[in-house]
Amino acid sequence: MSSPSVNPLREGIANRLAPEPCTLVIFGATGDLTHRKLIPALYNLAAEGALPPSVSIIGFARREKTSEQFRTELEEAARKFSRTPLDEELWKSFASSVHYHRSPFDDAEGYRTLAAEMDRLDKERGTAGNRLYYLAVAPDQFPVILDHLKASGLNRAAEGSWARVIVEKPFGKDLKTARALNGLVNEVFEERDTYRIDHYLGKETAQNIMVMRFANSIFESLWDSGHVSHVQITAAEPLGVEGRAGYYDTSGAMRDMVQNHLLQLLTLTAMEPPTSLGADAVRDEKVKVLRSLRPLRGDDVFRHVVRAQYAPGLINGQPVPGYREADGVPKDSVTETYVALQVNIDNWRWAGVPFFIRTAKRMPKGGTEIAVTFKSVPRVLFNSTGEGLDENVLVIRIQPDEGVSLRMSAKLPGSSLRIEPVKMDFHYGTSFGKATPEAYERLLLDAMAGDATLFARRDEVEEAWTFVDGIEEEWKTRKDDLAFYEAGSWGPAEAAELAARHGVTWRRL
Amino acid sequence: MSFVPGIAVPIGGIEKELGRLWEESGDDKTRASLINLAVYNEKEGSLQTNSAIVQGIAGEHAMRAILIEADPEAEGSSADSWINMHCYPRGSKGGAVCSEQISFRLGGLAARSLQSVVFSHLDSDLPLALWWQADFRTPVDGKLWRWVDRLLFDSRHWKDPAAQFAIVSEIAALPEARTVLCDLNWARGLPVRQALAGLFDSPSALPEIRRIRSLEITHAPGFRTTALLLAGWLADRLGWKLEKSGNSFLDPSGAPVALVLRESPGASIARLHVVSEGASFEVRRDPDSEQYVTSASGKAIPSSGRMVRAPREETREILLAELARGGRHPLYAKAIISLRDLW
Repeated sequence: MSSPSVNPLREGIANRLAPEPCTLVIFGATGDLTHRKLIPALYNLAAEGALPPSVSIIGFARREKTSEQFRTELEEAARKFSRTPLDEELWKSFASSVHYHRSPFDDAEGYRTLAAEMDRLDKERGTAGNRLYYLAVAPDQFPVILDHLKASGLNRAAEGSWARVIVEKPFGKDLKTARALNGLVNEVFEERDTYRIDHYLGKETAQNIMVMRFANSIFESLWDSGHVSHVQITAAEPLGVEGRAGYYDTSGAMRDMVQNHLLQLLTLTAMEPPTSLGADAVRDEKVKVLRSLRPLRGDDVFRHVVRAQYAPGLINGQPVPGYREADGVPKDSVTETYVALQVNIDNWRWAGVPFFIRTAKRMPKGGTEIAVTFKSVPRVLFNSTGEGLDENVLVIRIQPDEGVSLRMSAKLPGSSLRIEPVKMDFHYGTSFGKATPEAYERLLLDAMAGDATLFARRDEVEEAWTFVDGIEEEWKTRKDDLAFYEAGSWGPAEAAELAARHGVTWRRL
Repeated sequence: MSFVPGIAVPIGGIEKELGRLWEESGDDKTRASLINLAVYNEKEGSLQTNSAIVQGIAGEHAMRAILIEADPEAEGSSADSWINMHCYPRGSKGGAVCSEQISFRLGGLAARSLQSVVFSHLDSDLPLALWWQADFRTPVDGKLWRWVDRLLFDSRHWKDPAAQFAIVSEIAALPEARTVLCDLNWARGLPVRQALAGLFDSPSALPEIRRIRSLEITHAPGFRTTALLLAGWLADRLGWKLEKSGNSFLDPSGAPVALVLRESPGASIARLHVVSEGASFEVRRDPDSEQYVTSASGKAIPSSGRMVRAPREETREILLAELARGGRHPLYAKAIISLRDLW
């Protein structure tokens, strides 16, 4: 009798592609990402039975330690960061599949012994040569790791197996470096085996954007320039640069947030319906949005983009220093901690609709949202005086307090005709009491299942950089446009003016 | 003193009294609802039991709950009703999220006219899940069932499973009906199905799935049908046909697969043991354990296994899992049919 190629018992168990057994190698296993996100996510998946039992995890890092020490450290981290309480027995069971492999990233011998270790685990656990490499390291370490994976043949899977790589952002620091990085990765792994992680896409509400748009006829039929006045996409946080000054000062808000997270949210908001939910069908449509972004060049950059830096101020009533006073930040730094852009999407659907994108540190309140403001009704009947009749606004809250709200007008009770805005509000947390899985849980399972829908494709990343590079290049030509805003305020006056030129006021979260 | 499930209100004034209850409850309470959950039971005292269940799940699955304690054999017609709210703190700002509960005690004609009494109190445009905690009767009342989106029941309690399944199949097949059959007994077995499926994910273990020669399931007293559903699921998935003896199957190659059901105190499904020509696969839950232990061993495959979280076996947990899962259960009917002669 012939052997089945797929597990017939998996059908109907979960409404998703089944993750396949594999060995997961985490480069940078002693780092923050591994401790805070990856291991807690893998533990929860294993505890819920979502992770194939034969999955093995190898932590690859430079520091000297035993597997036992490694597991002990991870247990402490999981106890602290797991979204569910740590269960001793479940942890022991999960930890038995976790191993530590000490090696410098540039030591060929370390990869040879890694190969031997994976072969041993393949035999011991029956993972059949499936390998998933997670580069949880700084981008400057990518080349050496990728070169050695290639040189040692670990990038090539045996017949019937696969070898995939997960790359963490930043995907380069400009188009040139992104292309170089993508070229480097694709010299070692096929694009179909490359998974660029943007954890925003693993969030439930980001995934819900497509469901809301394409599973509800009332929204999609109004989702165009005929009905939408403008769109605001905001990601604000009260935190300052904290301990990331070294990285942040060379990056800034544009590269750190806009190029990836916010342009990803823009594409999900503006894309056409894909032909299917397949990874490439979805990503094809997202890329079309990026290609339709009107490039900003020359003086247009300074008309359409405001960059600013936070000065000392108050957060939650407590004084906080300005950006230039933070440890590791040069006193004359011109790195932006605030960016506001007005962009145009030159396609049939969105012609003439301004999209406003804003991200900032040291805002009074944190939150990420997409607000779609609809056009006003004609100025007859109720709004002939123009009083009390606000536009309809549909807000998709990505975090925190994930949900959707719709502002509309209603008559105040009474004999006179007075109209006030009211809000219909849907909160995920209110209706669905259970905690939603962490974005990394979903994304790790997807990578093991070979579903790249929620990962950025090479052309997405490069198109986003093409747009952002145009702005960065102009910024290099002058410094006098850098504005300042008080920490704890909603940003500089220049940003308010940018919006006001379109008759728009920035939303307060 | 008999249990009182809330504030007594006249049936005709339920919506008005609910409105008043909200007005008096303060601004910090938010009404939330994902579904209408109607629960029907013919046993005295069921309102108390079901109120406790609703209270237990409302914090995780907001709803309008409609509880019915019915005595359709009573003479005449009687109807009493009560309203109540179940509120749970939500978020850091001190607010609460509340689900509404309407309870009915119906006798005689009122109990036999469910659709007029109950369906006039549904939260409109939200799906109706009807949890039927009594035996299904014939003839099937199309007026009642065609409004039901999800029909919940627990086949574990069926005394005549074959007859009962025939009736629920008839309900699901009613013209214009969109009813999804949701057997809590099927939901109860999901973690075991998931754990067993995981053991065959490994490429080296997968070929063994076509060479299974015996299936042994140990179940707690009263959970024979849970075990049968598991066996039926495997039979359907692997193309096994039940032999007349009821003690074995024939696989697609004509080879026999022994079926053994054992009863033993403990978890509803304490052990599922599958032996193939080259390996052995086990899903086990020890008494009082909160984990399933899965393991695979044999000459043909590397040893593997893991411990996974086992859900609590209370009705509340199973109901919550079923409500959260949603969707249809296409394999359920197939599992039933493949073991029809053993029900």
